Amino acid sequence: MRAPKPSLMISIPSQTSFLGLVREVTKKMAESAGFADGTAERLALAVDEATTNVIEHAYHGSGDREIELRIEDRGPEFRVEVVDSGATVDPRAVPRVDLGRYVSERRTGGLGVHLMEKIMDSVTFRRSARRNVCCLVKRKDSAAAR
Amino acid sequence: MPELTVETRDVEGVTLLYPKGFINAHTVRLFEGEIQKALAQGQFKIVVNCAGLVYIASAGLGAIMGAIEEIRGNGGDLRLASLNETVRNIFEILGFNHLYRIYASEVEAITSFRRVEEAGS
Repeated sequence: MRAPKPSLMISIPSQTSFLGLVREVTKKMAESAGFADGTAERLALAVDEATTNVIEHAYHGSGDREIELRIEDRGPEFRVEVVDSGATVDPRAVPRVDLGRYVSERRTGGLGVHLMEKIMDSVTFRRSARRNVCCLVKRKDSAAAR
Repeated sequence: MPELTVETRDVEGVTLLYPKGFINAHTVRLFEGEIQKALAQGQFKIVVNCAGLVYIASAGLGAIMGAIEEIRGNGGDLRLASLNETVRNIFEILGFNHLYRIYASEVEAITSFRRVEEAGS
C-alpha cells in the first residue's frame, strides 16, 4: 500500500511573530520528506525569507493581511508556495547582490532572494488570480550534494 | 522557549555576544540592540559566539552589516566563533566568510584581538 505524500496548507497573519511557526512547520515537513537536519534547516530559512519578503514588500509591513503557505512533499521534490494578495513585486527589480558594495555602501538589499536562490533548486514568482505566488522547489536528488 | 536570547559578557576588553535560537526579521531587533549597546559603551571589539545560533536570516546579516563600518572605523572588529554547519553554510553562500573573520572557538577569537595589540605595541 502506498501512503499519500503529506501536504499542508496554513494561513498566517502578515506578522513577523509568525516566522517562528513558519520555520517549525517547514522544517518538520522537510524532515518528514527525508531531508537531513541541516538541509531541512536551510529550507526553513528559505521559506522564512520568502515570507519576510511578503510582509515587507507586498504588504509593506501591514500586519492585518493574510499569507498562505502550501507545503508539499511531491515525491521527487519538496515544494513550498508562499501566496499573498498584496502589491505585485517584480523580482527582477530586486537589486542583485554585490558583495563588494556590502561594506562600502551598507547594501543589504537582495540578500534574502539571493539566499533563497542558493538554497533552493528553483525560485519562481507568478501572478495568479490576483495573487502573488512565490514557488520554492528543492529536488531530493540534489539535496545530498549541498 | 523564547525564539532568541542574547547573553553578553566582557573578557579582556572584548564583548562577547551569545545569541541562542534563530535570528530573523522578528528577532533581529534584540540582536541589533545588544550590538548597539556595546557600541554605546565604547566597546568595539566584539565576538559573536554562534554555538547556540540555529540560523541567521538576511535580516541578521543586515544588522551586522549596519554596524561593521562604525566598529572598524573605531579600530575594532566584529568576529565570529563556533558556527554550526547551517550558519557556516549561510555565510559561505553569501561570501560573508571573506568579509568577516571566523574562528573555530571563542578563545581563538578573543586571542586574535590580543595578537593585534601585541603587534602594535
